Amino acid sequence: MKTKLFAIAAGLMTATALASVPAKADVKIGLLGGVSGPIAAMAPAMIDAAQLAVQQVNEQGGIGAGETLVGVVGDSACNPQGGTDAATKAVNIEGVVGVVGPHCSGAVLAAAGSVTIPAGIALITPSGTSPEISNLEDKGTVFRTVPSDDYQGRALARTMKDQGYGKVAVAYLNNDYGTGLANAFKSEYVDELGGEITQFAAHEEGKASYRSNLAELAKGGADTLVIFDYGDGTGLTILRQALENGFFDKFVGGDGMKSDAVINELGAENLASFVASSPVGAKSESLTMFNDAFKGVGGDPDAIFANTSYDAAFLMALAVEKAGGKKEDVAAAMMEVSNGDGEPIRPGEWKKAKELIAAGTAIDYKGAAGEHEFDAKGDVPGTYALFEVGSDGFEVVTEMQ
Amino acid sequence: MELFELINFYLVPGIVLGSIYALGAVGITLIFAILRYAHLAHGDLATLGAFIALAAVTSLGVSPLAALPVAILATAAIAVGIDKVFYNHLRERPKIVTVMASLGIALMIRAVVQVVWGVDTQTYSRGIVRPEDYFGIRIRDREIYTILAMLVLVGALQMFLTQSKWGKAMRAMSDNPNLALLSGIDNKKVVMLTWIIAGGLCAASGFFLGYNTELKSMMGWHMLLPMFAAAILGGVGRVEGAVLGGLIVGIAEELSVLVIPSEYKAAMAFAILLFMLLVRPTGLLKGKVL
Repeated sequence: MKTKLFAIAAGLMTATALASVPAKADVKIGLLGGVSGPIAAMAPAMIDAAQLAVQQVNEQGGIGAGETLVGVVGDSACNPQGGTDAATKAVNIEGVVGVVGPHCSGAVLAAAGSVTIPAGIALITPSGTSPEISNLEDKGTVFRTVPSDDYQGRALARTMKDQGYGKVAVAYLNNDYGTGLANAFKSEYVDELGGEITQFAAHEEGKASYRSNLAELAKGGADTLVIFDYGDGTGLTILRQALENGFFDKFVGGDGMKSDAVINELGAENLASFVASSPVGAKSESLTMFNDAFKGVGGDPDAIFANTSYDAAFLMALAVEKAGGKKEDVAAAMMEVSNGDGEPIRPGEWKKAKELIAAGTAIDYKGAAGEHEFDAKGDVPGTYALFEVGSDGFEVVTEMQ
Repeated sequence: MELFELINFYLVPGIVLGSIYALGAVGITLIFAILRYAHLAHGDLATLGAFIALAAVTSLGVSPLAALPVAILATAAIAVGIDKVFYNHLRERPKIVTVMASLGIALMIRAVVQVVWGVDTQTYSRGIVRPEDYFGIRIRDREIYTILAMLVLVGALQMFLTQSKWGKAMRAMSDNPNLALLSGIDNKKVVMLTWIIAGGLCAASGFFLGYNTELKSMMGWHMLLPMFAAAILGGVGRVEGAVLGGLIVGIAEELSVLVIPSEYKAAMAFAILLFMLLVRPTGLLKGKVL
């Protein structure tokens, strides 16, 4: 009797398990980002922009034979541990065919190194800018739609030299992002341009006081402090304490410091001598198309990394379509859909792209943030501008070369 | 280095930071002494207190200092509630179970803060406050308030513990719980009183951290280790020891930048904690050995 009951129960369970598989399988991609942690204020717009790409794909025919593309959001918390956890869940439990994100360089390096590269899954980050990502032994599976900080650090050094900055002190966050950017800046400013860096010091995040750090940095007589940190996190505390105590006259930040939190909390009137560099989408037809579409769903197209996030998700969708949904082919397909040859595809033109892929025609995605022609390391070149704080938030001072 | 530079940029921030640590460490030391476990949710309870004060500031439009009593009362009530709902059921189990449970509570409190107030960095008042110059010593008003409030709150607690009937009961529970129970001390009331005091001080500590810098959902968690280092350094169960420990940890963190690279500043609390546990586990003022 007992055995019979067991058999029935087992049979029922198998039946429900079978019934829960839908007729048309969803195709999942992971959208990993720093939802909590130091860049939490930037993450929502980035995730929304990526979801916009997913939404456009589904409105215009979906993936393959009309399957739905699903963006599975995961929290990488902007640290290596969080990145690994979120990527493991996405790859092993959700069974994604590709990963868009994580956002922070440390999380990208950890997620790629321990999860996506061993699994052979393509990963494309919209904002992981550390030069270290270029050097990953990734078998061609790691991409980014944002230029390496090697470019940004060097461009910032050249621009500062042009703008007449003299002796500077550099404070950077002790993680992959801060270290990579600071070292690129240092090698250009000192070695190439003959500038002087009086103090060059890392700091840990999350402390309540950085006044002793600032006092050390101020030794050597620099009048400018260069901060490579996040404006929602420790960078804000450092900038506040430097302003309050008058340690420096002028402040320069990297892209992490170009956060609205800085203006909201310190007040624009106190930030007259603060400038920050940031990647900018070169003006293009593609950028306008993205801006209009993102405004249409209630997003702010000027939010930092919104356009790169959109491009990353759209490129991932194109690559998945090109690879016919086979996750081992997605990375190779990523190279093919944006290598400069073929029929141009602009943001939102999913239907056109789908038809061309089906016909076997080569396509070339021209993204909102740039053309995204990947080099052998999966990197893209970029354009930057230097921003100052005006009456309506950040305003461009000059393009950076 | 000039004397005033040392005072302004190393000692003053160290003392202010130390006062904030001290407020948290007093609560930790009381819970350690009376309930006999390490309360890992202390940092996040401080975060909650700081955000409750923010809610009072934004909704009632009062000044931040006026919001402090509101935060202290509300957090004390929440601390008592957490004890009733969670820790109370674990009282008869091995203490390590409660320690682990408190880690879970820490995550829950942080999640509540993130859900209600979001994850953006916030402040009580917008803009920056430059320090005043008092005969060469540069100090901000809010830093004076922080140090004064710490001294007043801890002084009042010390008075309560030594002079009042219930304070004596708490000390008796800390010295010998069995004997205290035999002599008719109401265990439940002592536990509740402990949580009211610890929760209130916790809120004050989180409030002053937010008042001097910014409010972030992770702010309390980052303070947990220095607060534990301060409690153990001063001697577990000794209120004045926790204050001394807090000030030493705070000043040592700031001064450490003079001798070690600044990225290792955060390791200072670890170093102190390890050194004390190895060399003098009773702490500076002869507290309990755990």
